[in-house]
Amino acid sequence: MTQPQLTKFASRILAISFLVLAVLLACGLGMRWGSVAEWNDASRVWGWLVTGVCCFLGLMLVQSGWNDQRSPAVLRLDWFLPVIRRLPVNTQPGNSLLGRLLRKLALGVQSDWQRKRRGKARKLLRQLGLSWVASPLRRLTQTICLLLFCWLFFYVCWPYHARPNQTQTIGSVTFTAFDQDSGVAHFTIAADEPTVRIGQHIFLRPTDKTTPPTSTEELLGEFTVVQNSGDQLALKPVGQLSPMLLDVVTGLSSNRQFEVTDRSPLAWPDHYATSLEAKEFVPAEIFLMIDPLVSLSTAIASRSWVWSLGCAAAILLVCVVIPRGFCGYLCPLGTTIDLFDWALAGRTKRFQVPADGWWVHIKYYLLAAILLSACGGILISGFFSAIPVVTRGYLFLLDPLQSGVARGWHLVPGFNIGHLLSLGLFFGVLGLGFLRPRFWCKYVCPSGAVFSIGNLFRATERKVESSCIHCNKCVEICPFDAIKPDFTTRTTDCTLCQSCAGVCPTHAIKFVERTNLVQLKVDDEPPTNETALGRRGFLSLTAGTAASVAGAAGATLLGKAYGANLGSDDPFLPVRPPGSVPEQEFLEMCIRCGECFKACPNNVLHPESFQQGFEGLWTPMVEADWAGCESSCNACGQVCPTGAIRALPLDEKRHARMGLAIVNESTCLPFAGREACDLCVQECTAAGYDAIEYTQVGVQVDPQGHPIEGTGYAAPVVLEDKCVGCGLCQTRCFAINVKERHVLSESAIIVEAGEGKEDRLMSGSYKRLHQQRIQLSPSPFSADRSNSLAPVEDADTTSIATPDPFGVQTNEAESDSPF
Amino acid sequence: MNKLNVRLLWQMCASLIAVCGTCAYAQDSVEFLNGTKLTGKILEIRKAAKEFDFETSIAGQSVSRTYQYSAIHAVTYNGKRFVINQLPSNSGNDPKSETVRGEKTEDEVRQIIDSEGASEPDWLATTRMNHPKSLELDWPLKADGPWNESKNVGQYLWGRVNPNPSRWRPGIKLLYECVRLHEGKSDLLKRDYSALGSKYFELFQDYPRAAYWFEKAGVRMNQPTGIHLAECYYRLGNKSMAMKLMRGQSLHFDSIKLLGEMGEIDEALNVTRVYGNTRAFNEAFLNAGDALRSVGRLDEAIEYYQKVLDRNEARNAEYLARYRGRASDSINAIRLFDKADVSKVANGQYTDKAVGYNGDLHVQVTVADGKITTVEVIKHKEKQFYAALTDTPRQIMDTQGIRDIDGTSGATITSQAIVNATARALAQGADQ
Repeated sequence: MTQPQLTKFASRILAISFLVLAVLLACGLGMRWGSVAEWNDASRVWGWLVTGVCCFLGLMLVQSGWNDQRSPAVLRLDWFLPVIRRLPVNTQPGNSLLGRLLRKLALGVQSDWQRKRRGKARKLLRQLGLSWVASPLRRLTQTICLLLFCWLFFYVCWPYHARPNQTQTIGSVTFTAFDQDSGVAHFTIAADEPTVRIGQHIFLRPTDKTTPPTSTEELLGEFTVVQNSGDQLALKPVGQLSPMLLDVVTGLSSNRQFEVTDRSPLAWPDHYATSLEAKEFVPAEIFLMIDPLVSLSTAIASRSWVWSLGCAAAILLVCVVIPRGFCGYLCPLGTTIDLFDWALAGRTKRFQVPADGWWVHIKYYLLAAILLSACGGILISGFFSAIPVVTRGYLFLLDPLQSGVARGWHLVPGFNIGHLLSLGLFFGVLGLGFLRPRFWCKYVCPSGAVFSIGNLFRATERKVESSCIHCNKCVEICPFDAIKPDFTTRTTDCTLCQSCAGVCPTHAIKFVERTNLVQLKVDDEPPTNETALGRRGFLSLTAGTAASVAGAAGATLLGKAYGANLGSDDPFLPVRPPGSVPEQEFLEMCIRCGECFKACPNNVLHPESFQQGFEGLWTPMVEADWAGCESSCNACGQVCPTGAIRALPLDEKRHARMGLAIVNESTCLPFAGREACDLCVQECTAAGYDAIEYTQVGVQVDPQGHPIEGTGYAAPVVLEDKCVGCGLCQTRCFAINVKERHVLSESAIIVEAGEGKEDRLMSGSYKRLHQQRIQLSPSPFSADRSNSLAPVEDADTTSIATPDPFGVQTNEAESDSPF
Repeated sequence: MNKLNVRLLWQMCASLIAVCGTCAYAQDSVEFLNGTKLTGKILEIRKAAKEFDFETSIAGQSVSRTYQYSAIHAVTYNGKRFVINQLPSNSGNDPKSETVRGEKTEDEVRQIIDSEGASEPDWLATTRMNHPKSLELDWPLKADGPWNESKNVGQYLWGRVNPNPSRWRPGIKLLYECVRLHEGKSDLLKRDYSALGSKYFELFQDYPRAAYWFEKAGVRMNQPTGIHLAECYYRLGNKSMAMKLMRGQSLHFDSIKLLGEMGEIDEALNVTRVYGNTRAFNEAFLNAGDALRSVGRLDEAIEYYQKVLDRNEARNAEYLARYRGRASDSINAIRLFDKADVSKVANGQYTDKAVGYNGDLHVQVTVADGKITTVEVIKHKEKQFYAALTDTPRQIMDTQGIRDIDGTSGATITSQAIVNATARALAQGADQ
């Protein structure tokens, strides 16, 4: 067997095995074979991902294995769509499956070389630009990714689609009968239009509430509707049957009538959380997750496992097949830079610099500096890492516009010096485009550097065949400066965008497996004058390394010296979002991407400026004068890519203490004896925390020590074991007493963070912590003492032998029954 | 097969038979007065307490419950049927609701107070006390020094327990604890009993328990607590007991309202006359006005309210303002009674306010198709005696009007303010 035949054979075998594997996996996952049934959701998602990759690889190999026109290759990744181009001289259209299919679908779009006429598709793409003709698939992917990024950012992370779910009262029911065997109770329903369906879950609670409004112990039953005929309802209780519920279904409850509602009237509100969950069919922070530098630097800085490392590993694996594909295809910052270059920077040549210079390796040294300072516990990747830069840029630039237009300009929070710095950085990144197109991506971006290093393990690469005519078109179009003067590839820079292949007049460029040596062009012709170390070689290496070490040391020292100073006596301690990890770890893990600000309803979270120096810049802090944390929202944790804010379920989040509200007794209106005011109590009760209650202050006493009516005020007092520090009280006091009525200069109740005032856990349950705290809270009496007053009555237990066990004679004649 | 195995086999057989035996016993059944029938197993019968424990299986779930004889028609126990209560006659009236509203004999009321009133509420055992450690539980009759809720029990009850429903149950438990600590000190105990009665009365409207503790305290009729005891009797279903209690005694001015509500309007006016010459005339006249108003003698009611405005004097300016506010609000409300007839009110949502116990109280009323669909207290400063805030709106909805509203016990001022505000709100709709 000849070499080409062997290659083709290998390719076909591989293709078939990948496809068979994909089919098997799909069947296994679809039909729950064997142990698959016991897999959890996450494993199953991974399973489908592997299936998808197998399928992709299989189809790709089919396309290379059954392609008889082109030079043999095990893996061929040519997707620059030669189908819309003219054919090479003296060749027939390819026979490949995909090629034939595309020709069938796109009838008449192929250019006619004989008559030198372009096809329709090519004409259309030329309208869009040369790079669209050269590699339309890449441009399309870029567009889709940028749109996806914007959709996630401006739609999914826009919290205001959430509407509070109102509990609807369906009607009121009265007990009629009960059947013990089925456990079904029958009720008569009185309602204007009973709108219940069979199988619906409904909630019953007494219409006349004789017990005081203490929500925890209120009688409430959940039922399924079994039968619904006119005004008769058959209901089956859901879950454990409590004695109280037993009374309801047997009609023995002291409450005669029950109100029927469609949701539990005691349920904790969850509309923000459910709204986000419903919109988030891909994670809102997906691009941040797949930026490998984000998770890598965070993990190093905090010396802990960051869950998004898994995603970074996945994207690096994908980039083994498509080297640096992230930069060429996915990165929204790259696409934004492309847009900026096209719109502005590309229109002037005045500031252009040559292709070669000391700057070409900045990215490696920047990466080294970032990782070194991460080792020193200072996280600076947020300043330079691609996705945090673009996320923060969009946040500070476009989010105020979105908020202002959609909700009103008065709801746009102000900005601080930190905002300006971030925006300056963003425009700096864009402005580099004046030097060369995509200067940032080629030479500076440290995330790109991670992929460049990852390219060392590439499985495929760009190859140039001997039909190259040295026309230089590829060098001119390459957006990443990845083609050497001899037209071969700078493999660490090539993003496999395939623009070069799209413009090559002789079809000399192919994207095949790394080991492919078929019909290759001779290297170093014309000579490149490049050393093995790359351009500028050794000099650059030493200088760069020195610079990066110095930079890292400088950043670390600056961060520590001009930082949060958590060890000092009186450090500035901002109130962090609910579920934030302990402060030191938080500073090490927060990538400062700004995603949480976007997802936070009413902008409770504001970016910190320099209050904690350089170390706390752009980290989220609660600005409770502006707004309080919604009890039904857990968005900040859900969108955090590094786990600095833990992704808590709502039931956990509602117990996570972010701070503690402290009443300023010298200014609070009732305490100061100025007037009655209970705004904070009302707000806290309405939010469901019940953490602020009343106390009487300034009451005058008569000689007996009894209060004199009309003296004193009811003042707020915060219950430490219930307050979570949401800040709603502070917001209300500020909005009414400070801004509207001008009776105070600052809110009289302020949420403070700090030791003992907040829960900061790396792992573990806040709910359990809350319960422990309640149990540990001082009780004035020891548990063993009985508080019962009534003497325990001697149980008059009756033996079976007694003829009248109830003490009630059945025969009226024998005794005078008390009944 | 060795001996051990044989013994094991025998044991197994024996236990199998035992299991079958219990199965057979498990078929006890209970027939309730409401017609429900449950089969299961009677675990324990306590004759003295007139109750038994019953274990039953509902759709596969096993539940145990203690039942009072009073809910039971008959029980089949060990195969024998015992009738405990006769089924009510087929007139279709509900035995339960009768016990709530209907008249009862003195013996019946006594029995309720002695059994139910003397018992502890079932939530008491599981309630955790949460008062500050600094509270001085020896609680002398007279509190020294300035207001200090963290030290004086009485002030704690007033300032922290009353305004915070979450502290009501722990507050009751604290009082039980005080009773225990003050054992042997009869004057302290009397005060404790009275306080316990007041809490049951004001916070929980638990009349049997309130009556039990008031009786134990030996409350006098010239104190509000005495009048509250009378009201307990009345609410429990025996007016003559209440009247007997008040007869020949010097009565606190709170009695005016109660007497009016019981329909003894002449008695009420007699009491008012006595108070007319004292410093407490404002309260008396206001109460008399309310009493007259509740029986529909509106012109006379206005007269009494007007007297408050005319005499125009009180302990201090603040009190004066409050009395005048209540009086003029009530006059306004009465003048609006015709307008506030809901059948004449246009559909819509109306908001208005009236003077309550601690200041203005705002009510929002929704009217649709000649019916009051919601009454909601949207803003108030009432910190004591919460019950009226939910009770009175419900009464307004039930009666679809504002004329026949019983003042909620211990919260009559708040209740009246809600009625006044509702009248004004409804009148807005009639204007249109």
